[in-house]
Amino acid sequence: MPEFPKADFFESSLAAVGDHDLQRKLESASARHLDHFAQIKAEFPAYEDEREKAHRIKTEAIAHLDELLIELTSKLEARGCRVFFAENAKQARDYIVKLAQAKGARTVVKGKSMTTEEIDLNDAFERVHIKAIETDLGEYIVQLRGERPSHIITPAIHLSKEDIGQLFAEKFHTEYTPEPEKLTAEARSRLRTIFLGADLGVTGVNFAIAETGTLVVVENEGNGRLSSTMPETFVAVMGIEKVIPRLEDLSHFLEILARTATGQKLTTYTSFITGPRREGELDGPREMHVVILDNGRSAMLADPVLREALNCIRCGACLNVCPIYRRIGGHAYRSVYPGPIGSIVSPNLFGSAAGYLPFASTLCGACKDICPVKIDIPRILLHLRWKESNGGHQLKWPRAIERARRGARRFAATARHPRTIRALGRFAAMMLKPFAHNGYLRRMPGPFGNWIKYRDFPRPRPHKRPPG
Amino acid sequence: MAELHKIIANVKEALGVATPGNAHDAAATAVPVSPSAYRAELTSTFARELEEVGGKFVGILTPAEVSSRIVSLAREIGAKSVAIGRGLASDMDAIGEALERADIRIVRTVAVADVERAAMRSRVADADLGIAEADFAIASTGTLAVVSTAERPSSLTLLPPASLAIVQIDRVMPNLAEALAALGADGVAANRLTLITGPSRTADIEKRIVLGVHGPKSLHVIVVWPQDD
Repeated sequence: MPEFPKADFFESSLAAVGDHDLQRKLESASARHLDHFAQIKAEFPAYEDEREKAHRIKTEAIAHLDELLIELTSKLEARGCRVFFAENAKQARDYIVKLAQAKGARTVVKGKSMTTEEIDLNDAFERVHIKAIETDLGEYIVQLRGERPSHIITPAIHLSKEDIGQLFAEKFHTEYTPEPEKLTAEARSRLRTIFLGADLGVTGVNFAIAETGTLVVVENEGNGRLSSTMPETFVAVMGIEKVIPRLEDLSHFLEILARTATGQKLTTYTSFITGPRREGELDGPREMHVVILDNGRSAMLADPVLREALNCIRCGACLNVCPIYRRIGGHAYRSVYPGPIGSIVSPNLFGSAAGYLPFASTLCGACKDICPVKIDIPRILLHLRWKESNGGHQLKWPRAIERARRGARRFAATARHPRTIRALGRFAAMMLKPFAHNGYLRRMPGPFGNWIKYRDFPRPRPHKRPPG
Repeated sequence: MAELHKIIANVKEALGVATPGNAHDAAATAVPVSPSAYRAELTSTFARELEEVGGKFVGILTPAEVSSRIVSLAREIGAKSVAIGRGLASDMDAIGEALERADIRIVRTVAVADVERAAMRSRVADADLGIAEADFAIASTGTLAVVSTAERPSSLTLLPPASLAIVQIDRVMPNLAEALAALGADGVAANRLTLITGPSRTADIEKRIVLGVHGPKSLHVIVVWPQDD
């Protein structure tokens, strides 16, 4: 997993805040998205109801996760799938890479999957000289640039059509065009050839239905369908939290996922995958593997507050409304999962090195309001902040509270003497004068320095007379 | 089709029932008249939703009209070869013969052994149009539910640049939940099922919608209404 040096986040977010071009792209994309969403919501009166249902089903599913995973596994195995439980990213990676090597695979096609990003699968393939090609258009673009996705739904949100046109012209030695239609057609024909010759396909999973042993994959382009039906070997990678109990639960999630993720009523393609192809069938793999990944999720399950975050269906809506995400974009978070939900799951999936992320939030609550499965993100962020600053030990609340009380009492005593307080105010304003520049304090001595570095604090001005 | 819907909308308004701006309520608010009016209403909702996601609703046809309409559609899109799967209720052989009479090459998808797979696949991929009968249509979202079998493979609706689906009118369901219920847990468990809502699309470049990324650029749907009820 990529490293998360703390200083890096401050540097990258500061750099991103200064990148007005990036903000223009983020703003226009987010604004368009929110327009679609508002329209869809207005046309779909059942939305609140469906949210409530989805929340209930997920909470119930998470509470019975063990039983559901057993049921799912036995159903999948009965259909001829091989199921592998991976405790961590390395186990998952190793299993898939060894499988690819055993099959003599040279080319791997990948459908869009955040979970395979999480386990850093592409790098693992690269190390053994297997070509892993991202086939979702946005992922394909960022892979060509040697980058990582900056949004979990729209990976190339940080690029303009001109950026992409230049990229294609450089990489493919074709004539430059910024036309999305032409760029898409170019990618289609290149990727089609790759699909027909690929040895192994890998996709993520949106929902796994325990009752039927079905893996459900949603997408708009058709690359998920191609990845799961063309190659002779197919691997589905899913987190343990993706399982839902019954077929009848599925429609509630499908009804809200597309609406919040992309402003559609339903995604273009929803594939129900149950196993390898049968005798005589043209489509489907000869061999199908399902990798079920824990990687820190069971630890989240063990924390009663954090557990709720496992309800997440990865729609990306909380990113689009987040005032922080909209300023700095996905890359600044330095995590595969950016934005509010990313700040919750990253420290748990990638270890304490990402522990600073829960602090990158204003706690405004927009994420909670939009979340289709009603995750109380601000509450979980506060919980994680508490855990982080606490270092896992008992916090010294009593002492801090006592200190604050003493300070308040002293202030109250001083405030009874107007002349003293005015004199103190004048004195403070005078002392702060050398630190001010253009009406704002720009630097401060000692511990105040860090506070002032990221906040605007106007220079206190002495009053001739007390106001009022 | 458009006219029919307007009439039903007018009738509804006259009855003081709100027009279903949201097809989700189509089942609940459908006027309890004859089953055929109910089906027509569902189909008109389906047609509207399909067009909204960029699909093309060809029309409601009698079984006898289907072949000739498909031939003219194949000509309109300039198809030289057409891949066609086995039907559920539709006579796909008759459609294939009609296309052949019109000098259009036909690729019939049949059960294949593993060694023939690659050859069959490239023939389907090279076809200009793929024709498949859908198991269900879903009115509220303009969706088709298609089960993949040996003789009706998923490739038909995925590889050719244009896709045509045929669906029987009694298989138009009001919403997703009812369509999945009709397939049943056993039906879903046993099959490779795909829900298709419009042509393949992306919004990955500046959120601009472009059709035909990996799947078909155009999706046409014919609803068949046997006039016996």
